[in-house]
Amino acid sequence: MVAELLEAPAAPAPAAVAGPRIRIANAVKSFSGRVVVDVDDLVLGTRPIEGLIGPNGAGKTTLMRMVMHSTPLDRGTITLLPTAGGEVVLSSLPAHAMARHGVVKSNQVIMDFDKLTIWDSLLLAVAEGRYEQPYRVFSERAVFGRHEAEIRHYLDYFGFADPTAFALSAGEKKLLDIVRCLLLKPTFLLLDEPTAGLPEQLTEKVMTTIRELAAAGTSVVVVEHDLNVIWHLCEDVLFMAEGKVVLRGDPPSIRANRTVVEKYLGEGHV
Amino acid sequence: MLDAFLISGLFGVVMVIGLGLLLHLELGLARIANFGVVGFFGLGMYVFGVLYVRVDWPFGDPWVFLVCALIATAAAGLAGLIVGWLIADLNTDGVLVGTLAFATAVAIVATTEAELTGGAEGMGGLAFPYDIGKVTDNELLWLVIATLVVGLIFAFVRQVHRSPYGRLLVAVGGNEPLARSLGKATFRTKFWLFGVASAGMGLLGVMDAVMLRFLVPANIGVDVTLAAMVGLVLGGTARAWGAVLGAFLSVGLFDIVLQGYLPAPTEDWSAQTLPVLREAMFGATLVVVLLFRPLGVLGDMRRDQLMRRLHGR
Amino acid sequence: MDYVVQSVVIGLTENAPLVLAAIGFALLYRLSGLINVAYSETITLGAYFGMWVNTTFGLDFYTVLIPAGLLAGLFSVATYLGIFRPAKRRNVGTLELIIVSFGLSIFLRYGLQLVFGYPVRYFDVPPPETIYVLGVGVGSFRLLAVAVVAVLSLLLYWFIQKSSLGLQIRALASDEDLAQVSGIRPLAVTVLIWFIAGVAGGLAGAFFGVGASVDPLLGWREFLFILLVVLVGLSWGLRGVILVGIGAGVALAAMTLQFSQGLYAQLALIVVFALILKWRGLRLTETGKV
Repeated sequence: MVAELLEAPAAPAPAAVAGPRIRIANAVKSFSGRVVVDVDDLVLGTRPIEGLIGPNGAGKTTLMRMVMHSTPLDRGTITLLPTAGGEVVLSSLPAHAMARHGVVKSNQVIMDFDKLTIWDSLLLAVAEGRYEQPYRVFSERAVFGRHEAEIRHYLDYFGFADPTAFALSAGEKKLLDIVRCLLLKPTFLLLDEPTAGLPEQLTEKVMTTIRELAAAGTSVVVVEHDLNVIWHLCEDVLFMAEGKVVLRGDPPSIRANRTVVEKYLGEGHV
Repeated sequence: MLDAFLISGLFGVVMVIGLGLLLHLELGLARIANFGVVGFFGLGMYVFGVLYVRVDWPFGDPWVFLVCALIATAAAGLAGLIVGWLIADLNTDGVLVGTLAFATAVAIVATTEAELTGGAEGMGGLAFPYDIGKVTDNELLWLVIATLVVGLIFAFVRQVHRSPYGRLLVAVGGNEPLARSLGKATFRTKFWLFGVASAGMGLLGVMDAVMLRFLVPANIGVDVTLAAMVGLVLGGTARAWGAVLGAFLSVGLFDIVLQGYLPAPTEDWSAQTLPVLREAMFGATLVVVLLFRPLGVLGDMRRDQLMRRLHGR
Repeated sequence: MDYVVQSVVIGLTENAPLVLAAIGFALLYRLSGLINVAYSETITLGAYFGMWVNTTFGLDFYTVLIPAGLLAGLFSVATYLGIFRPAKRRNVGTLELIIVSFGLSIFLRYGLQLVFGYPVRYFDVPPPETIYVLGVGVGSFRLLAVAVVAVLSLLLYWFIQKSSLGLQIRALASDEDLAQVSGIRPLAVTVLIWFIAGVAGGLAGAFFGVGASVDPLLGWREFLFILLVVLVGLSWGLRGVILVGIGAGVALAAMTLQFSQGLYAQLALIVVFALILKWRGLRLTETGKV
């Protein structure tokens, strides 16, 4: 395991396209009196692919959800700094406006629409608001025609058996969640344990897709427990513990750090 | 031809089908339990009635009807938007209160504004917008027109299932937070859904007002909401055909078969006992169906079959 | 000043049963998260039970309250064991459960008409004496209602907040699994809650019934207001329900004195409550799981 990790090729350095960044300032969230996240000042997206690791309960998922505004902040602001300049205060936008600004997140737990098929799910993700109106009930063909190619691309790439059926297995639902995010054409993509529950071959494909996306200018932040994925994929790793980001650096330096080893990796790991 | 009894029986079924179809959009697709169906229906009915009877229009009848019907439908739609705004970001409990409160408010206003609505005594003076001879002929023609209107509603609902809009409604009903994270403005969706469905309910109220020709607040009791809900739930909440099938199985059974073709065991049977029994049975039906077959006779929507038909290779 | 005194006295005495019914409803809602539309029939049945015992056995109204409350309590438990418990076990969703309770409510409402007949019924009691409170004439039954409601509210409040059973109830409401682990018997406690709620509803019904008449729509007419009072008040706990209930009662009386028709007062109250609900509370939990 260790040897494998060491021999693994370093992540290819993507072309230096500066992606958008997200600044998290004074963000605090507590649940029934217990502070879960307390971040003073943190900028995500300084490198194309960043990894967020830490022990269970460190607040990784909560921080991601705070960015998406699906968990409201106790206080603090979260700002998107797009590539083109300017800034968008995400923490004062409603949750549905995130996707419009290109900020998209995949889910840690399996989330799906029970009554929608795979085609439905993906067409839902791509359908423009102007078609989803009660006075445009004949627009299915238009939406399908506009987006069929890109959807089929992902369907073929990830090998969905029958897209007219429902996603059944946990892995299929997880993958569907990621493909929905990709179809939203994110400029800032947050992935919460994207490969959990996926077979190895699909994990590879997801990682390849993430690299391509990052190379094209999307900032990606990955939360993962599978550290193989983190060391392979990320150029910058943030270590979170007790609601704060305590360390930040390139993968080798994080892996060598005593605190990380003691608190998280365990002595036998290095 | 059909006799007067059968015409009014069928007309009742057609109304319930229409309301059930519109409720299907809210309850079956978007999973919003509208307990105030009768509020929108009653608003359409009374706005139409008041305009038709109290206003001195400078033109003659098909036009008076059309203008009044249009205004009444718009009024119901507007009320739908207001209620939609009220309940869009509330949970199921809030939706129950909001819609129930609206229906109660409409009934209160229909009773208090006696100068306009005739209050509890009622208001006459409504008529068919045409006259082709006997009363039964007029009623039969109205039944045909109402069937056409409901047929159009059915076609619309069926098309919603086949459109991006329907998909959005199912997504909002299935997992609203997930739909929001995909960039869908779910509150706005519910808001407009209530506007559209309520306008339709208002139009059905107009149709019913013409058939009744005499409006009393008793016409807009909770039994209207109940009938629409029972029809839909019995047939299948998630299916467009559910409302059609369920209306025949519930309202059709009681108001046509039992009322007309069953020998009455006692004297006041059909006038007093049967209507009460009907409501009691409708209530029991809701309980039994939802406990033992929550998706009704027709079962769940089959979007896999639909997708295969629309987009299969 | 007269107007204020009048409003307060009339509001309190006329709407005391509403407060009682709201407390019962709130208990159920807190414990199970269930909006039980059929609670309105528990109220109606309290009135019918009272009227039946009163006219059949010739007991006076004060004695009648005891069987009326107990029977309504048992009825409430029966609906739980017969309908809502099986429904929960079948994993019927929140939305469906509301429709189930709506159906049950309708079934009982019209079932009562089949059983008791259509005419409106009355308690057979001597006309209440008129007692003057701060110069406003009030019927003796209404004063009794105020006293009973005050005592019961305090008892219930004490019971829920201070007694050990109350503690178990609150524990159960917040986390069923945890409560079970710590040795609480959920079934017994839940049945107790449904019983208490039923007693409260039944007594409220008896007071409503003796004040006017008994008919199958008695409970349903009050239901919307109970719902509004509970949903608005419950964010401050049971105390909030009681205070909002009293406030609503007084406001209703005050507006009824002003407006030409009593229904306008109801209309105004409905609008105000609906806006309060919109303004704060009952939000869809933004959190979800995304």
